[in-house]
Amino acid sequence: MAAAACRHRGATGDGAKTFVLLLAAVLRGLRAAGGAGRALPDFERRVLEPAAALGLRRHLLSAFPGEEAEPRVDLAALEALLDAYLRGRVGPGERRRLARLCREYLGRCAARRPPALRLLGRHFEALHAAVPGLPLDGSAVLPGVVLRRDFAAYSPASGAAGAVVVTEPLHAGPSAPGVELVVGSEGQYEAARRWCEARTEAAVKRLRSSNVGLLLSSVKQQDVVIYYAKLYGVSVVECLSSEEVALVREITGVSPYSPFGDNGCSEITDTAAVTFCRPLLLGSKRYAHIGFASSACAFQPHCLVLCGPVDGVNEQHAAAVQGAFTMLQQLFKTVDGREECRSKGESQSDASDVCSRHSSATQKQLTVENIYCNSNQVSEHQLKTHRGETDTQIVDSALKGSENPAGIQTASQIPSNPASHSEELNVPCRGAGSSTDAQKPHAKCEHSGEMHKGYESDLPVDNQKNYGTAVLTTDNANTVTVCERLDVGKDLEKASCGIIPFKHEEGCVSVAQNYSSSIIEAGSVLPVGGYFEILLHYYIQYYAKQLQQSAVTVISSVVADALLIIPKSLHGTTEGNSFAKFYLKTTNALRKNQPLPVNEKGLESVYCKYQLVISVLHCVTELLSIDLIIGVKRPLQKIEDNDSDDDL
Amino acid sequence: MSRLEAKKPSLFISDPLTKDTVSQSLSLLNRILKSCYGPAGRLKQLHNGVGGYVCITSQSSAILGRLSVSHPVLKVLTASVQNHIARFSDCGLFTAILCCSLIENFKSLHVPSCTVIKISKHLLSLCTDYLKSEACGCRVSVDFSNLKTLLCLARSILTSKPACMLNATEVDHLAMLIVKAFMFTIPCHVETKAVLGKCVTVPVKGRRVLDSTVLPGLLIETPEIQFAKLLSVKRISSDTIKIALFCVSMSGDLFNPEEGTITVHHRISLEMSELNQLLNVGKQLVNDEVGLVVCQKVIHPSLKQYLKENQVMAVDRAGLSVMEPLSQMTGSKPIASIHSFSPSCYGSLKDVCTKSFGSKHFVHLIPNDTVVCSLVLCNRNETAWDELKRACETAEHVLQLTIKEPLALLGGGCTESHLASYVRYKTCSLSTSSFKDADCSQTQYQLIADAFCRSLESVACSLSHDDEILTDMVYGHCWLVPSGFPSVSNWSDLLSKCGCGINSNTQNLNWRLLQPHFGSPTIQSCPKEPSVDAADLLTLDCFAAKYSGLQVAVETANLILDLSCIIEDQN
Repeated sequence: MAAAACRHRGATGDGAKTFVLLLAAVLRGLRAAGGAGRALPDFERRVLEPAAALGLRRHLLSAFPGEEAEPRVDLAALEALLDAYLRGRVGPGERRRLARLCREYLGRCAARRPPALRLLGRHFEALHAAVPGLPLDGSAVLPGVVLRRDFAAYSPASGAAGAVVVTEPLHAGPSAPGVELVVGSEGQYEAARRWCEARTEAAVKRLRSSNVGLLLSSVKQQDVVIYYAKLYGVSVVECLSSEEVALVREITGVSPYSPFGDNGCSEITDTAAVTFCRPLLLGSKRYAHIGFASSACAFQPHCLVLCGPVDGVNEQHAAAVQGAFTMLQQLFKTVDGREECRSKGESQSDASDVCSRHSSATQKQLTVENIYCNSNQVSEHQLKTHRGETDTQIVDSALKGSENPAGIQTASQIPSNPASHSEELNVPCRGAGSSTDAQKPHAKCEHSGEMHKGYESDLPVDNQKNYGTAVLTTDNANTVTVCERLDVGKDLEKASCGIIPFKHEEGCVSVAQNYSSSIIEAGSVLPVGGYFEILLHYYIQYYAKQLQQSAVTVISSVVADALLIIPKSLHGTTEGNSFAKFYLKTTNALRKNQPLPVNEKGLESVYCKYQLVISVLHCVTELLSIDLIIGVKRPLQKIEDNDSDDDL
Repeated sequence: MSRLEAKKPSLFISDPLTKDTVSQSLSLLNRILKSCYGPAGRLKQLHNGVGGYVCITSQSSAILGRLSVSHPVLKVLTASVQNHIARFSDCGLFTAILCCSLIENFKSLHVPSCTVIKISKHLLSLCTDYLKSEACGCRVSVDFSNLKTLLCLARSILTSKPACMLNATEVDHLAMLIVKAFMFTIPCHVETKAVLGKCVTVPVKGRRVLDSTVLPGLLIETPEIQFAKLLSVKRISSDTIKIALFCVSMSGDLFNPEEGTITVHHRISLEMSELNQLLNVGKQLVNDEVGLVVCQKVIHPSLKQYLKENQVMAVDRAGLSVMEPLSQMTGSKPIASIHSFSPSCYGSLKDVCTKSFGSKHFVHLIPNDTVVCSLVLCNRNETAWDELKRACETAEHVLQLTIKEPLALLGGGCTESHLASYVRYKTCSLSTSSFKDADCSQTQYQLIADAFCRSLESVACSLSHDDEILTDMVYGHCWLVPSGFPSVSNWSDLLSKCGCGINSNTQNLNWRLLQPHFGSPTIQSCPKEPSVDAADLLTLDCFAAKYSGLQVAVETANLILDLSCIIEDQN
């Protein structure tokens, strides 16, 4: 489990904790349901994908400003994404500051697209410098690259000249390890040594005459080299780490210069353009601060200087920032739908009924408007019956119920309160109730028209009853409600304008209406705080209901319930049972086709989230197919060839 | 084959701050550091039970570097303070005491840590904004055309280190030397980017402090025998001596580990050939009218003899540390080749002479441009000398920091108590929107603000170890009551000057005891800025160091308060 969680985190930069929580919840649920793991692939294909592609996507926002041909992350969305990402990784005092710094860094590096983000992620080790002992406020973004070495030789005139990278010593003596020098006379030996030094001098001279003012060396150069470099006004930085050399090579496109590789006369052409080159004092250490004119890609190299009271804090911040780059790369990925699923969605009945409805609704304005009117009627109708004082009552009693089981009874026995709602408010109160009996409530929960009846008596008494299935019944809605839900496109967009603050300014578009073949489009984001899980929970149940197959429906309810563990854990840390309130508000909004009640500025990548669910399900499948664990005494070695069965 | 040991499970400690061991060690550390604080601080003797070196000190850099701290929470705290010291040299004790007090005070409030962190961040920004603003009543600007403030800064640092064992005359003498040495390091001709020179400390132990002195240029220690032989040196003109600086060995040694095998035919001596080459170098130096040769490594005796015969002074084994200042002050480039070198590498000196202090003999290199100087530091014994050296280095660093930001803070506890009264004044007149921003109640806010102020005041209170300490309600400064008087007597009869020395007891300032207890009264108006101009004998603290120390202390306290568990790998 831990390895799978780490693998997932390594790939997406996020979600290790969520992974473990969700995995554990799914496994618990499956055990309680008596095991139905075999139907997982089926569930993924028939329920999860439609739920994401048709249900979830209507709520998604885009982090890309629409008008550009090549997508890049919108600046306001970037800060919202970073802020949410850093929330779980750095202390509450530093989070906002670090998110802002990170946004500034990405902006100035011009790294809001995948190639530059990948480069940042790969080379962040060399692109940041940590300064312990300074307050966090000292952190800054500096142009250029800060090499973690002082100049071995520095001449101020060497800025605005070229730079070369060397990976071998510029000076070699007359003999070398493994080479035997036979000396025939004193003069010969002296001449040989003189020649060697002259060769070094010529090499440095040649650098200067090729307008190279900076020598970047991955190895330590001998004193003679430094001496000649000083004499001819060439700055030298030596002992660079392999990361630094790799970074310089990548951003400038130069390859290491071999001093004795050619005839030694021609001008050196493979040089990197340097805009400035100066010593930099950070903390109590001196570094070489070098500006490169970027050549390779649009990437503008900058250095992130992280200050913190102790090294550990800086390391934590650097790791969080580097993880954020990986996370941001995921934003540009799409989850593609399968061919079979799509064709089925268009032609088959049952679940595809909804699909076709949806596609037609998005394609034909007329239908949309028609349905829109319908839904308006429904909403109004529901408003009359449920809204107002009943709603607050429900919330109150739900809260009471969380402490006192008896409260449930009072809650569900409110006269004239529609059953669908009273059931739902019980959900949070039960906590992680196990779905021991999935079929029974399903049978009971047949709806009768627009109102649900007859639950006041059984539900509250039976504590064992699964809340998930109770919710399921409410989804057993008539066609009108379906239409109402399908219609959210316009409605949501309109409403969420007011909710997501950057929307107006930066033009964050709701992707709800442009339907394409992918399940989740690039750039899709949702507010953080469990909205993804609640939405997926809701739509999984919705689409599962269209199926007759029992194994898949069982899994659907297990996964749907398991998903709730995430918002539950998120809201569990704050005082009181705010999860109940949150759950109720969100599902109510969903049912009434209202915009999600979001008071959250942070955003998260839906691709990461969806991938996490898929990874968890794959991990579950893998775990469930293990039937025996054999402990062995000695550590297992990675076996290269496969013919080692006799080792057992 | 390596032995396989069973892997130990990691140690998990939840809510480390609620554990007794942590609070006990934290309060012990706090008490140790508090008792060291200020001119009347108690000394600590640090030694290993096995024997060896004994360190007597009251400086945080020496204590924290030698103290073994085992608990992870305390490790974070000490590491944080040590990093601060590495950067600023000064205000280590201030940072450490403030951080410990903040943790202790905040912890006892039983307010959720995220609220504490948010509010303390806000209070910190209140302080830093105030310190940076023109209206700040506890800072003075430093005038570099007048040495008085610089002397005050240096004197304050020396007096706050009682383990240096200095009397008032010695403090004045050393403060003057430190400022003089600092003045030497400021380049006369400033180009676009000024780079400060270097002050090299030369240890002379077992002599009186008043024998300490500052000399322009460098002192290179030489053995006595050689000292006697130093003859007159060849000069270009009456005040110019050409100098050549070598960073390669001139011993004629052939051994070079990086090279491979050398097969030598019979009757060929490479040593002779090498020595010949060295003598060629000597010839070139003589021809070029070089008067002084300094080599980082060893010079062959024959070459030395040859140079001496030609009135060229040769100093060898100079060591790596003098190479950079030497090259800086003479303008010479260290030569790394004995086969070819150009005359452009030579530098120049004004004069060379010999000096001796006690039993030590030195060659004194006097430059034209005095950007490098030597501080000959004397003290009676080794332990006191070490302490004095740390103090002088701190003072030099503080002056360097001050030239970057020409400000100083009032010392003697006045900055802390003034800041505390400012925060108290500001927070009692806070709008309700501030509480909403921080997501807390007004009571919570007041509690946290009070704990913050008490922590600041407890630093000021650490200055007094027996005596009573007061604060006034007008300037918010800190006043020390001389010991031996009953606490009930009329305070205005006993007090003469406040901690920093800027306010005298001329009016009734409405004193109260400065006790870091809950619920101190707030003053009705913003604490005033003293009307007097910088007087002669002020106690001043480094602005940059205290400003950063304040931030580091609050941030470290927040970091520690935010710890909800510790997972320790025991393998």
